[in-house]
Amino acid sequence: MAELTYREAVAAGIAQEMARDDRVVMLGEDIADAGGVFKTTVGLLERFGPRRVRDTPISEQAIVGAAMGAAMTGLIPIAEIMFSDFFAVCWDMIANEIAKARYMTAGQMALPLVIRTANGAGSRFGAQHSQSVENWAMAIPGLKVVAPATPADVKGLMAAAVRDPDPVIFFEHKGLFATKGEVPDGEHVDRLGTARVLRQGSDVTLVALAAMVPRALDAAERLDREHRISATVVDVRSLVPLDTQTILAEVTRTGRMYTVEENPRLCGWGAELVSIVAEERFYDLDGPIIRITTPHVPLPAADALEDHAVPTVARIVDTVVRTAG
Amino acid sequence: MDVVMPQLGETVREGTISAWRKQVGDPVGPDEPLFEVETDKVTVDVPAPAAGVLVEILVPVGERVEVGTRLAVIRVPGEAMFAMRGPGARVVTLSSARPTVPAMPVAIAEASPALDPPRTTGRITMPAIPTAIARAVGAELRLSPVVKRLIAEHHIDDPSVIPGTGAEGRITRDDVLAYVESRGAASGGGEPPAESLVPMSRIRQLTAEHMVRSLATSPHVLQAVEVDFHAVERLRGAAGEAFRAREGFSLSYLPFVARAVCQAIPEFPHVNASVRGDALVVHHRVHLGIAVDLDRQGLVVPVVKGAAGKTVRALAVEIHRLADRARRGQLAPDDLTEGTYTISNSGPFGTLITAPIIHQPQVAILSTDGVRKRPVVIERPAADGSAGGETSAGGETSAGGETSAGGETIDAIEIRPVGVLAQCFDHRAFDGAYSAAFLRRVREILEQANFEAELT
Repeated sequence: MAELTYREAVAAGIAQEMARDDRVVMLGEDIADAGGVFKTTVGLLERFGPRRVRDTPISEQAIVGAAMGAAMTGLIPIAEIMFSDFFAVCWDMIANEIAKARYMTAGQMALPLVIRTANGAGSRFGAQHSQSVENWAMAIPGLKVVAPATPADVKGLMAAAVRDPDPVIFFEHKGLFATKGEVPDGEHVDRLGTARVLRQGSDVTLVALAAMVPRALDAAERLDREHRISATVVDVRSLVPLDTQTILAEVTRTGRMYTVEENPRLCGWGAELVSIVAEERFYDLDGPIIRITTPHVPLPAADALEDHAVPTVARIVDTVVRTAG
Repeated sequence: MDVVMPQLGETVREGTISAWRKQVGDPVGPDEPLFEVETDKVTVDVPAPAAGVLVEILVPVGERVEVGTRLAVIRVPGEAMFAMRGPGARVVTLSSARPTVPAMPVAIAEASPALDPPRTTGRITMPAIPTAIARAVGAELRLSPVVKRLIAEHHIDDPSVIPGTGAEGRITRDDVLAYVESRGAASGGGEPPAESLVPMSRIRQLTAEHMVRSLATSPHVLQAVEVDFHAVERLRGAAGEAFRAREGFSLSYLPFVARAVCQAIPEFPHVNASVRGDALVVHHRVHLGIAVDLDRQGLVVPVVKGAAGKTVRALAVEIHRLADRARRGQLAPDDLTEGTYTISNSGPFGTLITAPIIHQPQVAILSTDGVRKRPVVIERPAADGSAGGETSAGGETSAGGETSAGGETIDAIEIRPVGVLAQCFDHRAFDGAYSAAFLRRVREILEQANFEAELT
């Protein structure tokens, strides 16, 4: 085991796959010479050369279009969209072309590509560079959607995404890049569509994703220590495919579910989980299902306001204490 | 504002208050259930006529009162003062939209044991008030889905016995599980009990009371006839499939029996009557009660109003509709009143004969029992030299009936659908010969079964 930062784990995951398979290539803005604006691709140009690690012009549509073409002609591209907010200019290519290709060619053409992106708030980048848009991606049939919370999961899920025969949207969280964690040595490949139970409690189940996972864990500690409320924490990890078995089992054990979501409230990913739980485990619920989310607002740039908008440990604790009885 | 006994149906004149949903002093929301009324076997929750505070209950549980009787008083906010009862009670004004916060909790605290001030400060906080109100209106029995499921699975009849540890005294899942465990521990987990106590439901108690009273009131006499349903069966065979396709349910024997009873009653009007003092009240309309089993959870007798004018098909449809509503618990109070004669149908269970108990204040009740194929001796005209031939259409008579007119007859054995019709009658009202003649007429009508035109 080696301790890596979340951003180092991104490069480690990509490097593992590029070393394994010559067809894996990278393209994106400032990923080569600069090593990525978030330093997530440092060292890849030096190791794999300019033919496989390519800087592109500032055109997100060109990046995803080129990635689609590369995938159609036999490569396994990893495209980077610098900020996930910029998916907004890419949706025609991603939603109408990439996501539909396998279906519309009756399976004759698969697109084994990965679109990586930096998602989420915490860096005071304002309304156009801080959004959590995982729920946008989740709403499109034909895409797989992953959002890891730890360096180990970044590496393992990156490998799984590259090896998946279909397009995978890979959300890296800007607020987690500096965090550290143990990553298994040697080849590390995880599985898409698997949630992880990080902590088991008996009173409530907190279901979280990406940057909300460490906050949910901190909240669970405080709930235990200060309020004698015993909380389970589930890291969803993969929104599509979704590990409903694990989530339903953990909600059933406590009878209470709280989602902790960074995306804005309306149609956030937790709403989908709530509907699944309500439909399939209604008779195991011991109280209302409650969503803790960013409100339905554009994110502010001011630090105090941004901190106020996104769910905090204190807000998670308060919400659970107020409603768990 | 006065709360009065509502008119629950056109023919319902009185009802029994079976429960008060609120106590004096409780706040009452608009349309919130305030009390429960029972009329015969229908129980109805009656909502509050207005929002306010229940300040007086005038009629206790168990009392039977007429429509329009004053039952309670609700003080509507803004209307007047509201006095808490009890030692040291003070008058508290609820009339202003924003009561003075410091004064009100203190007064309520002195008046209401539900509001315990914290010992440390002796001060009641604002959040304590909705909590106490919620407790007072029974919010602790708002049960979550899992709690409801567990209560059902563990057969806990009264969930209020479970100590609730959740917010505002709510019963949580763990509370139910702890209760179940403690109950198991209390019973020692040793020998299974030799007997168990099954409390009678309200409908069971009412039925019990009515049966005892009926037998004590009317000297019952049982008479029975055996009926050959051959002709009815032929009609069912010919029209049954089309009937089922059209109406969505199958055509049973019951509507034929009901029709035969309706046709026979005009010749024997005293069967359709009730005893009042030294007189027999003979009803000129036939309102036919049909006993309906509620999945073995009780018995109700909805009434087909104006049954005499109905065809077999109309009777079938109406009986089906009433039975369906009865099983769904959707009968209106009017559906159960004004019966003049009752049919109880145990036939589907294949009973041989049933002695039913009269539905007071009627004077007779008929049981239709199981119809089975039996060898029956029939008399048939001796057709010249072809005694063993086909049964001639229309010429059948029953085993016990009169010989067909004219000519020689021979006995033959045939397989016929046969069932017993058993009537219990009140010997105060008439005698056995009258009842027997009525039964004979019913049997004749069924055996002739001239109902072809009534099935569409």
